[in-house]
Amino acid sequence: MFPDIFFELSLRSVRINFLRSILASIGIIIGVVAISAMGMLGTNLTLMVKDQLSSNANVLVVTTDVSKISGSGQNATLKATVSDNQVRQIKQVVGTNRVIPLHRTQTNIKIGADDGRAAIYGLNPDDVQYFLTINEGNNIRGTEDALVGATLAQNFNLGIGNRIKIGNTSAGAKDVTTVRVAGILAARGFSPDMMADSAIITSDSFFTNHFGNENEYNQVNIIVEDIDTMDSIIEAINKRMNRQTQTVSVEDSRSRLNSISQTFDTMTTFILAIGGISLVVAAVSIFNVMMMSVNDRIQEIGILRSIGTERAEIRRMFVYEAIILGIIGAGVGGFMSLIIGYTVVNVFVGNTKYFFLPASIAYVPYGMIIGILVCLFSGLYPAWKASNMDPIDALRSE
Amino acid sequence: MEKTPIMQLINVTKVYKLESGDVVALDNVSFDVREGEFLAIMGASGSGKSTLLNQLGILDVPTSGELSIDGKNVAKLNDLERTHMRRDVIGYVFQKFYLIPLLTAYENVEYPLILKYKKRDKNKRASHILNETGIDETMAIHRPSQLSGGQQQRVAIARALVNEPKILLCDEPTGNLDKKTGTQIMDLLVELNKKGKTVILVTHDPSLTRYAHRTITLEDGRIANVS
Repeated sequence: MFPDIFFELSLRSVRINFLRSILASIGIIIGVVAISAMGMLGTNLTLMVKDQLSSNANVLVVTTDVSKISGSGQNATLKATVSDNQVRQIKQVVGTNRVIPLHRTQTNIKIGADDGRAAIYGLNPDDVQYFLTINEGNNIRGTEDALVGATLAQNFNLGIGNRIKIGNTSAGAKDVTTVRVAGILAARGFSPDMMADSAIITSDSFFTNHFGNENEYNQVNIIVEDIDTMDSIIEAINKRMNRQTQTVSVEDSRSRLNSISQTFDTMTTFILAIGGISLVVAAVSIFNVMMMSVNDRIQEIGILRSIGTERAEIRRMFVYEAIILGIIGAGVGGFMSLIIGYTVVNVFVGNTKYFFLPASIAYVPYGMIIGILVCLFSGLYPAWKASNMDPIDALRSE
Repeated sequence: MEKTPIMQLINVTKVYKLESGDVVALDNVSFDVREGEFLAIMGASGSGKSTLLNQLGILDVPTSGELSIDGKNVAKLNDLERTHMRRDVIGYVFQKFYLIPLLTAYENVEYPLILKYKKRDKNKRASHILNETGIDETMAIHRPSQLSGGQQQRVAIARALVNEPKILLCDEPTGNLDKKTGTQIMDLLVELNKKGKTVILVTHDPSLTRYAHRTITLEDGRIANVS
């Protein structure tokens, strides 16, 4: 027994019209799940990307926008590379910070009977230790040694000592060469300095032997020791190399982090809005059920009013009913959000390590509160209508 | 000794404005109801009986004239004050019982107490009143739909009495009951009147007027006879 008789009446009304009430609550359940699960998905994606980006936040990436045509006739290729000379200039500017020039291209690969395509990097094997982690095996020692990214290794089921054919692997082609897997890298996710997970990393001499581009690099990574000096390093590079014309551009992963975070935030807001639409639909169904409840109980309202129930008390009774529907919907919805949200995050993000962080899990109570508020607002007009009925007319209705 | 009027009607007129023209449902009706009186109001359908009942039950206000109940001019009260008058001064007994279907018999009687005191009945007052009207505890736990007509009317009378109203307003209280049960209900009302309760009985059944001290007969919205 609840102390408030109007709450008791509302509860009994919900119980008597159980099916109708549950159907209305299902709308709220779906709305709460949509908001919570979508919000958690967006937040988990954002957190993951932020985490991955900020783990490489001390890396500046130098590239060039200036394209040069090399070769002539049919062999002419368009390249945008940083020259050896420019690398030297960078080294002079950045002082003791490590400068790692990288070659990069795309190549066909063949592993056993499987064909594929992957990014291939060439760098000085001594630089590997500064920004890559070898999970299994060893660093590049011989000329034909290579490191492979975690995803590539997993997809092709690669182990140490396996061979990968690189180059134009179609039958009879002459430029095919083979590398041996010396080590497998730890997964590093989305990183602007090197998308290593699906890549093959070889020594720079191997790379230039097969793909050319000697003394020309696709990008230069600068690993900054003190993150607070990043702005001054960018400024120094710009001053030295971009004084007259823009020859190189320096990308700070922090700015990328910000823009990507913003993109993800916008995306999260967008998918939340989609979840919100389902709550609008739920609001209409709650409104409908509440109007049905008022219409079913016109005579009861007449009785209550004629024996001295205040208008505010009638209003309270129907507002309670709406809130009860909201609490049922939000409770079940909140519980289901945890299960569905966890599954969705696991499937789309790939891990759930951010799932229980406050920023992510907060979407459950957030969705529940919105669900209850939606019910409350949907119940206001029906409650007002019930309380303003003329008791004589209400009594007379059958 | 002349008792003080608990209700006073002076030229009470009620006009309904309809598209087809004004309908005068009550036309200059004046009478007093004295404390402790058993008054019957008789009339055929269309005589203005229901309109008068709505006035006496404070569910409506007169178009003109003055209706005072317990010393207060009803027309001058706002909705909340009239609601409180219905709760505290009038006990309403309806032809169709009008119990609240979601509540048990006991809770139906407890309900006006909660309205008035904003808390649940801890003094077993509802049980006491139910006993007085002939409903025992095993019956009191049932919903209205599980009770007979006579039992429902007894519960309704208990509900009307629980807040100790000065006036018991009964609208055809036997209209939905068989003759025997109707007589029992009338005997109960007489008994309550003997204990000092003012009873106003509105009916179209002339045989019930024998219970009353005084009968006012309505015709076409006017008082046709007082006996």
